[in-house]
Amino acid sequence: MMFFEPFQLPFMARALVELVILGALAGTVGVLVLLRRLAFVSDTLTHTVFPGVVIGHLMGGDGGIFWGALAAGVLTAVLLTLLTHRRRVSEDAALAMLLTTLFAVGVVVVSRQTGFTSDLTAFLFGRVLTVNEEQLAQTAVVTVVVVALLAVLRRPLLLRAFDPEGARAAGVRVGLLDLVLNVAVALVVVAAVKAVGTILVIALLIVPAAAARSLSDRLAVIVPLACLVGAAGGWLGLVVSYEASVEHGVRLASGATVVLVLVALYGLAHAAGAVRRKVGLSRARRRSVLEAA
Amino acid sequence: MSERTPTLVLDRASVAYGDVPVLEELHGVVHEGEAVALIGPNGAGKSTLIKALLGLVPVVRGRIEVLGRPPAQARRDVAYVPQADTLDPDFPVSVEQVVMMGRYRRIGWLRRPSAADRAETAEALERVGLAHRARERFGTLSGGQRQRVLLARAIAAKPRMLLLDEPFNGVDAVSQHALLEAIGSLKEQGASVVVSTHDLAIAHLACDEVCLLNRHQFGFGPTGDVLTPERLRATYGGHALELRGDRVIVTQT
Ligand SMILES: Nc1ncnc2c1ncn2[C@@H]1O[C@H](COP(=O)(O)OP(=O)(O)O)[C@@H](O)[C@H]1O
Ligand SMILES: [Mg+2]
Repeated sequence: MMFFEPFQLPFMARALVELVILGALAGTVGVLVLLRRLAFVSDTLTHTVFPGVVIGHLMGGDGGIFWGALAAGVLTAVLLTLLTHRRRVSEDAALAMLLTTLFAVGVVVVSRQTGFTSDLTAFLFGRVLTVNEEQLAQTAVVTVVVVALLAVLRRPLLLRAFDPEGARAAGVRVGLLDLVLNVAVALVVVAAVKAVGTILVIALLIVPAAAARSLSDRLAVIVPLACLVGAAGGWLGLVVSYEASVEHGVRLASGATVVLVLVALYGLAHAAGAVRRKVGLSRARRRSVLEAA
Repeated sequence: MSERTPTLVLDRASVAYGDVPVLEELHGVVHEGEAVALIGPNGAGKSTLIKALLGLVPVVRGRIEVLGRPPAQARRDVAYVPQADTLDPDFPVSVEQVVMMGRYRRIGWLRRPSAADRAETAEALERVGLAHRARERFGTLSGGQRQRVLLARAIAAKPRMLLLDEPFNGVDAVSQHALLEAIGSLKEQGASVVVSTHDLAIAHLACDEVCLLNRHQFGFGPTGDVLTPERLRATYGGHALELRGDRVIVTQT
């Protein structure tokens, strides 16, 4: 069976576990990113984590990547929260400048190393087949922490996303809550660096949630569905890139393949969603005709 | 008439965002079971006053007391009803989920909603006449119905004071009637109501007191005494009024 066989190899098994956990985590957090329309903030985080990765690698080798990313991610999450709370996001220009500057710093630092193109590709697009046990454990810990945090805060998070003024009026500490969510997004980016790199993680956050949203109007369905789509994308992406490389001699980067598979899943979900809405509409029309009669 | 408890006290209060004063020298009292209409043109400071009553905008001079406490400390017993069209109609929540949000403070973070929470939610929806729409997505309802759902959310919180920001804007006649009925029954149970509106007829119909606002206070008192053509002309800047007999019509807000 091509869907399971490759994972008898230990490095493939580790990659599978990493991508499935990551997909499920990003799918869950992605629902909140979608509800809060935080795609832009998330994209900013993916850019600012990059110099942290580079500097972490410089100081501590492969093991330093996680901690460098963590420091940069949490720092920018705090800065972003402060910035967006000062005024409405008319800081688009300032933000764009900040993130390209930080990104450029990362590139400059990495380009001073020997063999830098190889490092650069790994930081930007990930290298999931070299994930080791320690990195797996880091991803698992991040997942547990983030999911527990969001589960505990689910009610204030929902209220704040739906009706920010109402949340303030009800005594919710909106600033603090926004910080928590921004840090959660930063943690997803940090956890994803090794597997899919800083650039592609945005797809992991956005695509499964969008797919789940087009299939359902109910959060109780959307959250597990996004989780499932994320995990399935990780697994299928890995299968496809392995099959292509080993059986057909076409080398496909696994991180990018995961993203493309996710986008394909989104396409399917979107089509199914359109059909569902059409059926729902005609059913509602029939009902109103019956009521009128 | 028996002694009534004052629930809202404005004592020469000024309210400001940072250094910019928005409202100055507000003065008046509202009692238990009374409704006050905030009337004034766009930009007059109606929403700002409502936020000040929630303790979200600071009082820089004078004093505001809500239920005998500083506003920020009274939030537990105050419910706020935002304008329905400020909320995203695509948001994936059901009507009953929105109403349940009114119970969140009592439910807390971890506990599941109890039977009592569910009963209060159902009863609140019943009171605005939308029990049969409970399972539908909030955004699929009409503007007026969404406004009623938001009122139900406030009712489910069992407030002693209700703050409504322009709840009648663009609302159909059926929903307007349902809103007025629900507000009336809350008043009967002793809640105080603060409602901002452009609609003078509604102020006459539903409110005991009126506060005329345009950055300053142009009158505060019983509806019949305060809603005079002279005062309205002063509040709205004269030219915005057309007078037909004793009816006052605000032509431009
Ligand atoms: N967050 C804010 N910061 C500074 N000024 C504000 C803010 N919100 C409203 N204002 C100003 O306060 C004034 C009153 O606004 P508002 O209370 O919304 O009036 P209304 O609700 O009566 O239309 C307006 O001039 C507006 O520009
Ligand atoms: Mg307003």
